[in-house]
Amino acid sequence: MLDFFTIFSKGGIVLWCFQGAGVKESFTGPVNALIRSVILQERSGSNSFTHERQSLKYKLDNEFELIFVVGFQNILTLTYVDKFIDDVQLRFRDRYKNELVQKGALMLLNNSFEFEDDFQRILREAEESSRTRSTTYMRAFQESEKSKKTVKSMIETKGGDKGKEQGGKKSKSSKKELEKPSPPGQKTLQNGNQGLTQEEIIQKKREEFIRKHTAGPTEKPSLPHIQRGRRGGGGSGQRNKQTKVFPVFDCLCMPGFSFYANKHLVCLPPPPPPPPKKGGGGGGCGWVKGWVGSKSLSQEDMEPVLEKMKEHLIAKNVAAEIASQLCDSVAKKLEGKVMGTFTTVASTVKQALQDSLVQILQPKRRVDILRDVMEAQSQRRPFVITFCGVNGVGKSTNLAKISYWLIENGFTVLIAACDTFRAGAVEQLRTHQRRLNALHPPEKHGGQPVVQLYEKGYGKDAAGIAMEAIAYARNQAFDVVLVDTAGRMQDNAPLMTALAKLIAVNMPDLVLFVGEALVGNEAVDQLVKFNQALADHSMSEKPRLIDGIVLTKFDTIDDKVGAAISMTYITGQPIVFVGTGQTYNDLRSLNARAVVGALMKA
Amino acid sequence: MAADTKKDPGLMDERSVENTVKQFIEYVRKQVEEQDPVFLISVVVALAAIIITCVFLKYFLTSKTVRSAVLLVGLCDSGKTLLFSRLVSGKFKRTQTSITDSSAPYKAKSDKGTTWTLIDLPGHDSLRAQYLEKFKSAARAIVFVVDSAIFQKEVRDVAEFLYVLLTDSVICRNTPTLLVACNKQDITMAKSAKLIQQQLEKEFVFLGKKGKDFEFSQLPMRVEFLECSALSNKAEEGEADIKSLEKSLAKL
Repeated sequence: MLDFFTIFSKGGIVLWCFQGAGVKESFTGPVNALIRSVILQERSGSNSFTHERQSLKYKLDNEFELIFVVGFQNILTLTYVDKFIDDVQLRFRDRYKNELVQKGALMLLNNSFEFEDDFQRILREAEESSRTRSTTYMRAFQESEKSKKTVKSMIETKGGDKGKEQGGKKSKSSKKELEKPSPPGQKTLQNGNQGLTQEEIIQKKREEFIRKHTAGPTEKPSLPHIQRGRRGGGGSGQRNKQTKVFPVFDCLCMPGFSFYANKHLVCLPPPPPPPPKKGGGGGGCGWVKGWVGSKSLSQEDMEPVLEKMKEHLIAKNVAAEIASQLCDSVAKKLEGKVMGTFTTVASTVKQALQDSLVQILQPKRRVDILRDVMEAQSQRRPFVITFCGVNGVGKSTNLAKISYWLIENGFTVLIAACDTFRAGAVEQLRTHQRRLNALHPPEKHGGQPVVQLYEKGYGKDAAGIAMEAIAYARNQAFDVVLVDTAGRMQDNAPLMTALAKLIAVNMPDLVLFVGEALVGNEAVDQLVKFNQALADHSMSEKPRLIDGIVLTKFDTIDDKVGAAISMTYITGQPIVFVGTGQTYNDLRSLNARAVVGALMKA
Repeated sequence: MAADTKKDPGLMDERSVENTVKQFIEYVRKQVEEQDPVFLISVVVALAAIIITCVFLKYFLTSKTVRSAVLLVGLCDSGKTLLFSRLVSGKFKRTQTSITDSSAPYKAKSDKGTTWTLIDLPGHDSLRAQYLEKFKSAARAIVFVVDSAIFQKEVRDVAEFLYVLLTDSVICRNTPTLLVACNKQDITMAKSAKLIQQQLEKEFVFLGKKGKDFEFSQLPMRVEFLECSALSNKAEEGEADIKSLEKSLAKL
């Protein structure tokens, strides 16, 4: 059933692997994709990952620096996988403890880990246990607790008070929401439904079934108030429509309703065995052990520190869900790790968080626009950059700054005014063009103006203007085309469709999302929806998504630089430019260490 | 004498200073003579030990730190970890993307047989900077591994990494030997070392922005281009073709 299982070190050497019968493709690709998307992007909070048609689950062993990965087909839902990985991890650790403790690449290279038999055995056990669990039998009436109670204790008094709590009656699975009926005045009750006719019983059950399935999700399974069925004193008189929820056992007794029983039975897997606790011995030496090495970090140790760090990050304007995902990921990375001497939990966690923040801000690919422009120049085509973002973030201003930078580096720029909606947008760009040409007069650059504006007024289709601008640039041998689009809210579906069409049709070399550093939790929503729109409305298989981020208004925030983290975390794309003011010189590139320093500062 | 200095504490003229010093010396001499010689000798030895330690520490800390590491760097998927495994143990091991460094001692195949520490650094973009930062000062030589088969597509990324490496201040100061290992020569489409060298020199012209031609021989450190193949033609069995790499490492 499993496609593959592999155990490898964090340094990259595979200790042992298993490939399922009939599986031809190597698993190196999917596992590398897992490492790059999840572990390196600090998303290890959830331990499963989907790659094409395979589903991968993984577990990090931070003490010996190992990673355990299992892969299986997406369409299968194997319930035993989580527990199975845990079992395999424990068994592997136990068996190779002596070798693993030595720690070092030489140990990994020289030893061969013959784990096949153990693995097969654990796999068989896991598969068998999952099979046996699915056929549990229901208790007979005699075994239930209801049979042990007296009838009198279950009688309700009149007057609309709540039914007697029968707290112990937790059925194995059924967590029903039970309402409290207000009986118009019932006295004696009987156990069971013997008083009613068959049709009445069927009717009642049907109502209950419908009500149960149209009602919302239930909560608070700990208090099943089980109501007794109402027996009409005179037979059919009392037809209390409300809330006759019969416990499982009654249904069992009813003829022809066995399907109820099957429906309510949900097999819960047994809780996983608690992880073995290590370190921190009893008695007076416990606190000394906390100082002197050989203490491994557990979830409880890290919990308070991580909570504090999460609030600190949120106070620094990191989006709330990003902060919590980051903290989960750091917890997963540190769980079970052995601390060195004289290091406190707080310092280890802080260091790990700092490292992961720096890692997130490092670009995942080379960011060198000038080199790419030169490449496009050699191919005799213009390099097209598109700016998109919500209203008022500074697209036009930063477009002007970037064109100044490009001119300073000796390129010619064509600005395409595809913002055909906002009043004064075209004039604004024309003013910028005039200023830039004044700063770099055409006489110095071979008689050609370095910046030109391509505009077609207001109200026209932006995608069409962009296409014409690019064609014009190709004819006139411009080096770069900067396309300015109108600001739009991420919820505005028609405008998002229009933007997606512009990008899909024109295939720009770089799609830059302009976001302001003042944004808080909104950043997550904006980026997700923009990326979604670009992916949905593109015709091709590989849609053009956001390639980079321009972070603007960076001078307005002091050290609340969390927006940088939120944006890079969500998209995985680098921050290409940082705008730090409103003049042409206020354009910088991101200094990851400085930003992380400002973030971690108390 | 003591009375003199007490009467005029503010006036420390030369004579009173001299007198105080003489007094002190007299006092010490008396004490020394009174004491047990063994005790004296132990005191002298202790003082001498402290002085010698201080001198040694000063000498060792301010001089260049001992550099005995050979770093394996390169882009992601260029074959560093497999090369590491081959050099250290000669074995073939399946590998995945590394997320931390691995280090092991490596005995050079030369007459002297010096032992270096071979360190395999992760190549992924987000990790490469911080690991390089950590290990660059200890580098005696840097082996830059290049994937020769897909070099043409990655030429700009390779050039940028190499440029960053060569312009790093610590590396410029220490000038470790640079060995560019053109890996994956077992693939038929692999480019030769000479071609890779020429392509990189052309790229450096753009990166340096000086406009002049660039050649690796202009660099202060010794740069060598060589070919190797960590994965032999027969995949898992068979020897890897790393002889030229081993020879170069022996020359260090």
